[in-house]
Amino acid sequence: MDEPLLSLREISMHFGGLKALDRVSFDLHEGEILGLIGPNGAGKTTCFNTVSGVYRPTSGEIRFRGKRTDGLPPHRMAALGIGRTFQIVRPFPNLTVLENVIVASGLSCYGRLIPSCRSWKGRKTREEALEILARVGLEIQAGQKAGLLPLGNLRRLELARALALKPHLLLLDESFSGLRHEEIAQQEELVRKTRESGISILLIEHNMRVAMGLCDRLVVLDHGRKLAEGKPEAIRNNPEVIRAYLGKGGSANAS
Amino acid sequence: MQLFLEQMLNGIAIGAIYAMITLGLALVYGILRILHVAHAAVYTVGAYVGLAVFSATHSILLSAGGAMLVCAGVGVLIERLVYFPLLKYPPYVPLIGSIACLLAIEELCRLAAGPYILSFPAQLPFPSFTVGGIVISSTLTAVYCISAGVLALLWFITTRTELGLAMRATSQDMAIASAMGINSHRIISLTFMMGSAVAAIAGILVGVYYNQVYPSMGAVPAYKTLALIVVGGLGSVPGAVLASILLGVGETLLIGYAGIPLPRDALAFIAMIAVLLWRPQGLLGSRG
Repeated sequence: MDEPLLSLREISMHFGGLKALDRVSFDLHEGEILGLIGPNGAGKTTCFNTVSGVYRPTSGEIRFRGKRTDGLPPHRMAALGIGRTFQIVRPFPNLTVLENVIVASGLSCYGRLIPSCRSWKGRKTREEALEILARVGLEIQAGQKAGLLPLGNLRRLELARALALKPHLLLLDESFSGLRHEEIAQQEELVRKTRESGISILLIEHNMRVAMGLCDRLVVLDHGRKLAEGKPEAIRNNPEVIRAYLGKGGSANAS
Repeated sequence: MQLFLEQMLNGIAIGAIYAMITLGLALVYGILRILHVAHAAVYTVGAYVGLAVFSATHSILLSAGGAMLVCAGVGVLIERLVYFPLLKYPPYVPLIGSIACLLAIEELCRLAAGPYILSFPAQLPFPSFTVGGIVISSTLTAVYCISAGVLALLWFITTRTELGLAMRATSQDMAIASAMGINSHRIISLTFMMGSAVAAIAGILVGVYYNQVYPSMGAVPAYKTLALIVVGGLGSVPGAVLASILLGVGETLLIGYAGIPLPRDALAFIAMIAVLLWRPQGLLGSRG
């Protein structure tokens, strides 16, 4: 087996007395869609925040593309190739849809002062951003203020913004929640296409049907601990998982 | 009529200077949601450093350059040493820190240069005009040209460059901007440097315009610019500029020309109260 793209080793994250993550380990391999599931408060978003650099884990080790990354700040993680979306959509409301995407594609320039003074309306940046918008189906809305978009479009804008970083790994935090049926199907299609284009994906999902259908493997968290890890079928039949998670009225969803 | 036009021209010049000080405040409020009262102290430092360099070299260009450099440094120091550690507390805590900075820097200026009013006998290298009997002095020309240039440059940077896009993104949502690869600390520091360098120019212009530099010259601007960013719309840079110019013209015309018996500095606050009553989001503010 080659080296995993992302590996978490014994990651703990404590907030005062609360163990939001308690020695969690898992690997994500190149080209994989890995799902992170678990009841509310299980530590899924905390896990995302340690991977994307928002939190420095209390202990443990994170490696991304072979490099130790725990404790690096978010903008460094973005530069290394981790793009993310947020559970609660957060576009830059006063920028246009196109500008929202260009913000993320300006990456290579933000490190230095001089190149960042070049006009960002340069043709190449613009064309790349438009191409990404076309990929997620938002090219018509390019000139609109992002704050005016409906939720479905915002979820796709978040994805477009993350893609503009040209990431190796995409973290999707509940990218399907609040969407209508046909929008969910579209979004699933989009995630699959993204993976086909060579980007690995780690996603948090509450909708069990979506998670089971989309992911190659699942990691189940509960109270900050890793409860189980495996293929969707195995997780569905894992008695511990059923007890901790699906048992609480969730079994109907799972079937 | 001639007097009216002359007063009008003076008013616009004063407004342009207000605009250059208020800008820094609006930029900082936009990005950190902090009322940067100490900005007026940066402006005072700008005037003193400008005067010191001018006295030593008799070059107004070196004087401006030196003052801008020193002020950019002072601005970043205030941000790093005072605001950054206090950001996690409620907004009044950094505000108190800011007031402390203002007073401390004023006193430092007093200790370093003495409590006297110093004169700033520089001639700005700009031509004077006489149009239809109205004399536009070289100082006035300088204020117009320099402020227009500074405002145009800032407008260009914030709306037409990647740096400006990064600044706007950071001011709208710092966490997301970081996730998009923007080093928001660096953007914040750059914002302080830009605002402070512009304040240095304003300090020198005021020093030359009134031929006065003194330790408490920042006191009135400190609270007047606060009123101005409220009138313009908190965090709105175009609003701050518009409010500043309106105030400059208003002060000169209403109190100087029309002779309304009010202290000149009261007008900014009357405007602020009026705005808070009838248009709380400010002239160009977006949300209420």
